[in-house]
Amino acid sequence: MSRGIVVLAQNTEKVNYVDQACLLAMSLKVHNPNTKISLVTNDEVEKKNLFDKIIPIPFGDHAEHSDWKVENRWKLYHASPYDKTIVMDTDMLILQNIDVWWDFLENYEIYFTNKVLTYRGTPADTNFYRKTFIDSNLPNLFSGLHYFKKCEFAQDFYAWLELVVNNWQTFYEQQLMPQSRPQHVSIDVCASIVAKILDCEDEITNSISSLPTFVHMKSHCQDWKEVENNWLDKVGFYISKNCEIKIGNFIQNGVLHYTEDNFLEQTPVVERYRSLLNV
Amino acid sequence: MSKTKGVFLFAKNNGQLDYVKQAVFLAKRIKKYLNVPVSLATDSPIYLQETYGTDDFDKVINLDYTNNSNLRYFYDGAMSKKQGGFKNANRADVYDLSPYDETLLLDTDYIISNDLLSSVFESNADFMIYKKSSDISQARNEDEFEKIDDVSIDFYWATVVFFRKSETNKTFFDLVKHIEQEWHHYRRTYQVKSHLFRNDFAFSIAIHIMNGFQPGSFAEELPGTMFYTADRDILWEMNDDKMMFLVGKENYLGEYTAVQTKGLTVHVMNKFSLTRIIDKELANE
Repeated sequence: MSRGIVVLAQNTEKVNYVDQACLLAMSLKVHNPNTKISLVTNDEVEKKNLFDKIIPIPFGDHAEHSDWKVENRWKLYHASPYDKTIVMDTDMLILQNIDVWWDFLENYEIYFTNKVLTYRGTPADTNFYRKTFIDSNLPNLFSGLHYFKKCEFAQDFYAWLELVVNNWQTFYEQQLMPQSRPQHVSIDVCASIVAKILDCEDEITNSISSLPTFVHMKSHCQDWKEVENNWLDKVGFYISKNCEIKIGNFIQNGVLHYTEDNFLEQTPVVERYRSLLNV
Repeated sequence: MSKTKGVFLFAKNNGQLDYVKQAVFLAKRIKKYLNVPVSLATDSPIYLQETYGTDDFDKVINLDYTNNSNLRYFYDGAMSKKQGGFKNANRADVYDLSPYDETLLLDTDYIISNDLLSSVFESNADFMIYKKSSDISQARNEDEFEKIDDVSIDFYWATVVFFRKSETNKTFFDLVKHIEQEWHHYRRTYQVKSHLFRNDFAFSIAIHIMNGFQPGSFAEELPGTMFYTADRDILWEMNDDKMMFLVGKENYLGEYTAVQTKGLTVHVMNKFSLTRIIDKELANE
């Protein structure tokens, strides 16, 4: 049974998501040199050798006129070349060996992270960004790091996800309370709506397990009294020659979801990984 | 062979406050509530001997007298303050100075009023300290005692520390000494705004480092919660394990609310009002 990581990258005028995916692939290689990673994209990729496969977005581009490009996310089930797939957002770094995660995920056909961490390693309170989840009693799923096995249940889940994403206004009106209903399509919200419709929360996440998870660097999750919009303006970021990362006084492990579009430009992270891996 | 255990106190007087007197008073309460021997390290051993005697102590350790101190204001309630030297250096020397295998280090203004801390000597944990604390007013902002800065690490109280002698704990106390020696470097690195050296900060930083710059399990929580009153409050009355505090109202300078405690150990930061109460208590003996 093959297994690997899949990421979707579609560049916009403002953000080069392919570069972010290349950085993610480099970070993977430091601690997980044998783990495969494939990139789903229609954009030009300079460092092709960082990836196992580069796969065109299937079924056409449904996000041509979209800023966030989430309309194609449901296609990853169909695009993945692996029997077992971890899907990740491009704006993440993998800072440890994740073999134990694969072992844990063997117990599931689909798995979504439902708890994320601050850079201090404490549980992150994401309520600021997730009012609709609270108001509408949605499962608190994070699609930025999730897993599926090619199987009937996962195929069914993704078929529903396709339906919800393609008709998100209708589903939002049906499923979400008006006071906090988002005005744009969100893959986290759509996946949670599907989980609610299929009544499968207990089968696709685990409220007790602390793995897999990630450090979520959105500013309002960090338990700060005074919040800056961009966390890079609030706390120091340090990366050593060995690509060990500290945020503030805290060594980072696991997966770091850095979230800020200017992260690659504002930090020496790309240069450090290139130097370490000689790529 | 059973391990020796006891409480260890530091008392270094300044021109304003008699910490030796506090230590004598606290030693009596420790004997009553915890029933373990107490050792005192002081730079005023002759004053201790001549004024109070040494009967309350298992051992008295002489410290060199020094004028080195941090100048700071000591409040006596909301309306009065005096500047004095704050001789808080070298607390980490406790590891070498303590005659006990198992030591409970206490500040002399930590007024023991129950036997809760007896259990630390039976604990499996080799290093215990308070992170969880509560202002007895239950009404004031306690942010400064949660993190040492908004973006920085957890705050731990060096007021009460339990440790067993071990290589790991020796490393910890050596680290605290190093942080104290290089205080301005660590102050900047850990976003501490105050220039004043504080043992709470140094201990917090050392715990963070011992944990490998991540959340960790080096320091276990002491039993219960550390209750404290600010130096803007006044300890008004004490009768055995009962204490009456006048707690400063947050937005009404000079106005107070009376709060009574019974059987509650409290860190009394207004050392002047504590001294007044101790004078009464010692006079009644």
